[in-house]
Amino acid sequence: MDAKRNNAKGPQPHEGKATMEGRDLEGVIERARGHDAEALGEIYRRYARRVFGLCRYMLDSRESAEDATSEVFLKLQRLIESYDGSIPFPKWLLHVTGNQCIDALRRRKRGQQVIVEVEDGAAVIEAASPEPSPLGAVMSAEERAQVRDAIARLPENYRVPLVMRYYGELSYDEIAQQLGLQKNYVAALLFRARQELRRKLAHRSK
Amino acid sequence: MECYSEQTVAIFVDGELAVEEARRLRDHLATCRRCRQLLDALRAENRLLSESLQELTEGAASPEGFSRLPGSLEWGHLAVVAAVLAMGSFVVPWIEKLSIPDALQWLNPFSVSGRADLIFNLSDYVAHGGTTMLSDYVAVVGGLFLLLLLGGAALLLGRRWQPPQAGLRLLVGLLALSLPGFALEHRHSHFVTVAANETVDDTLVAAGNTIRVEGVITGDLVAVGDTVEVRGTVKGDLMSFAKRTVVNGTVEGNIYTASQSFDLDGQLGHNIYAAARSLRVGDGGHVGGGVVVAAGDASLQGEVTRSATMAVGNADVSGSIGRELTMAGDALTLTNTARIGGNLSVTVHQMSKVHIADGAKIAGARDIHVEVRKSRFARPKFYFHQAIWFAGAMLVGWLGLVLFPGFFQASTEAVGSGWRSLGLGIAVLAGAPVVMIVIAITLVGFPLSLMLLAMYLAAIYLAKIWVGAFLGRVLLKPATATKADWLLGLLVGLLIITIVRFIPYLGGLVHFGVVCLGLGAFAWQLYRASRPAITT
Repeated sequence: MDAKRNNAKGPQPHEGKATMEGRDLEGVIERARGHDAEALGEIYRRYARRVFGLCRYMLDSRESAEDATSEVFLKLQRLIESYDGSIPFPKWLLHVTGNQCIDALRRRKRGQQVIVEVEDGAAVIEAASPEPSPLGAVMSAEERAQVRDAIARLPENYRVPLVMRYYGELSYDEIAQQLGLQKNYVAALLFRARQELRRKLAHRSK
Repeated sequence: MECYSEQTVAIFVDGELAVEEARRLRDHLATCRRCRQLLDALRAENRLLSESLQELTEGAASPEGFSRLPGSLEWGHLAVVAAVLAMGSFVVPWIEKLSIPDALQWLNPFSVSGRADLIFNLSDYVAHGGTTMLSDYVAVVGGLFLLLLLGGAALLLGRRWQPPQAGLRLLVGLLALSLPGFALEHRHSHFVTVAANETVDDTLVAAGNTIRVEGVITGDLVAVGDTVEVRGTVKGDLMSFAKRTVVNGTVEGNIYTASQSFDLDGQLGHNIYAAARSLRVGDGGHVGGGVVVAAGDASLQGEVTRSATMAVGNADVSGSIGRELTMAGDALTLTNTARIGGNLSVTVHQMSKVHIADGAKIAGARDIHVEVRKSRFARPKFYFHQAIWFAGAMLVGWLGLVLFPGFFQASTEAVGSGWRSLGLGIAVLAGAPVVMIVIAITLVGFPLSLMLLAMYLAAIYLAKIWVGAFLGRVLLKPATATKADWLLGLLVGLLIITIVRFIPYLGGLVHFGVVCLGLGAFAWQLYRASRPAITT
C-alpha cells in the first residue's frame, strides 16, 4: 500500500509520513478525542485492516463486513470520548467492532439473539481424544490458509465466538456479555468449535 | 488423581479457569505427563489459531472464502421471493384493482427502485473487473431471474452448453487490450488512497474497492469502485461509478455520478448530474451550481445555488434552492426550513403526496400538476401503439421469412430446444452488456461497441418473432410449411405474446422468458451458421 502510494506521480509525501508514523498512539488518541480529523484518519490507517478482518470473519459477506467497518469508524468519532485507557486501545477497538458485528448479525435475525443456548449445551464434554490435535503440527502458510478457510466454513454459532476469542482476543466474559450467553456456554461453544475445526481439517488432509 | 477433561484444560490454556481450580490443575500438571502433553498441544493449537487468523490475506478476505457458502439459503430466499411474487401476480390485481400496494414495491424487480438496485448491484460486479467478472455477473442475473422463472435451468445449462473457445479467447484478448487503454494516471487496487499530504497533478483514474481521496487532485477524478470518498479536494470534475459515493471535501468542478447512494456534505463548485438510488445533499453540503438528478429518494438539506431538476420517487427538501425546483415523481415534501428562490413546478400522481410546510418559502409561482394515472387500457392511444407494434413485428417477421427463409425457420425451430435456448439466451442477455462495456473502455473499440449494442437491441426485438412463430406452429400444427402457414402461425403466436405481456407481474416474467428463449435460439443459429466458416 505504502509502496504503491510512493510510486504514484506527484510530490512524494516523505516528511509528512515520517512524522506521522513517529507520533505515538496515545498522542493520536488524545487528538482524536478532540475530534481531530487527521488523528481519526491515522487511527483508520493503522487499524482499518484489523477491524475489517474481524468483521470479515464474523459476518458472512464482504459487503456487510465493509459496512460494519465503516460504521465502526463513524461511531469512533463519538465513542472515542468514552475510551479511558484502562485497556489497550486495539483491544478496546476490537471490542467495539465485535459489538458492531453482533448488532449487524442481530439486525439480520430481526432482533433475536445471535446464538441461542440449547439445553445441556454447557455440559462439559468428558474424556476427549488423548491423541495430539491435528492442528498442533501444521504450520506452513498454505496450511494456515486452510485453517482460515475451515474457520470460515464453521457454522455461525461456532465461528463467531472463536473469532472473537482468537482474533479479537476478547475474554470469555466479554464474549458472553456481547452475545448474551452464559460464560460456561461460551466455553462449551469454543471447545466444540475447535473439535469441529479439527474434524474439518482432518477430513481435508485425508 | 483423575485427569482433567480436555475442555477444562482448554479453558485453562485460555486463562479463563477460576483461580482455585486453576491452582489445582497446575498441581496436577506437575505430576501428570499426559495432561502436560495435552496442555502443550492445546497451546500450540491456540497459537496456530491466532496466527492463522491474523494473517488476513486477500484470499481470506475475498468473497470466495465466505459468501459462496450459504448457497442453499440464498436459493431458499429467492424461492420465497418467487413464491410471493407469483402469488402476488395472481392475487394482487384483483384485490387492489390492478395497483400494487406500496408495501410490496420493494419486492418488485420491475419497479423503478427495484430496477435501480438491480442495475447498481450488477454494475458493481462489472466494476470489480477481472475474469471472474463475467461469471459473477451472469450468476447474479441468472440467479435472480432464472429462479424467478424456472429454478433448475442452471443445472441443465451446465450440462449442455459449453462456451465456445473462440469467444473465450476473444474475451480474454479484449480484457488484456483494455488495460493499456488509459493513458492517464491510473490506479487499480483493492484500496486506492490519495493521502492527505499527497497531490496528484493530473487526472486520476482510479478503480478499486474503496477509493478515498484525502489529498488534492488537480485534474479530474474518474472513480469506479464500491465506495468512493472524497475528503480532500478535487479541482476538476468528479466522475464516479460506485455503490456509494460520499463527498465530504471539495469538488471544484461538476459531479457526474451513477451510484447506489450519493452523499454530498462538502463543497461543490458547479453542478451535480446524478443517477442514484438515493441522493442526499446534507446540512453541510453546498452546491455552487444546480442539481439534475434521477433517483429513488432525494433529500436536499443543504444549499443549492441554482435550480434543482429532479425525477425522483421521494423528494425531501429542507435546505435552500436558489432558483427553480422542478420535480416529477411520487412524493414531495418541503419542510419549514425549505427555501426556493424561483418557481416550484411539481408533477405527481396524487395531490396528497405533496406536503408543503407552512414555513416553507417559495419566491416564485407554485405549479402543482397532478397527472392522473389512468389505466393504460382506457386510452385509445395505447391500442394504437399496440397495433403499430404488432404490425411492425409482423412486417419484420414477413421480411425475415422472405429474405432468409432457412435461417428464419431454423431459428424458430431452435426455440423448441427449450432449456438450451433459454439458458443461452440468459447468458447472452447478461453477457453482451459486459462485452460491450469491456470493448467500449478500450476507447478504440467504442464504435464497435455501439454496433454491438445495435445488434443486441435488434436481437432482443427479433426474439419475440422467433418465439411467436414457434408458438403459432405448435398451436396450429400446420400440415404444410408454406409461407402462408408460417405467417399465420406468426400472427397467432405474436397475438398471444402481445396479450400475455399485459398481465401484471406474470406478463413481465413471460416477456422476459420470451426474450431469453428467442435470443438464445438466435444466438445458437448464428453460432451454427458461423461454425463451418471457422472450421474450414
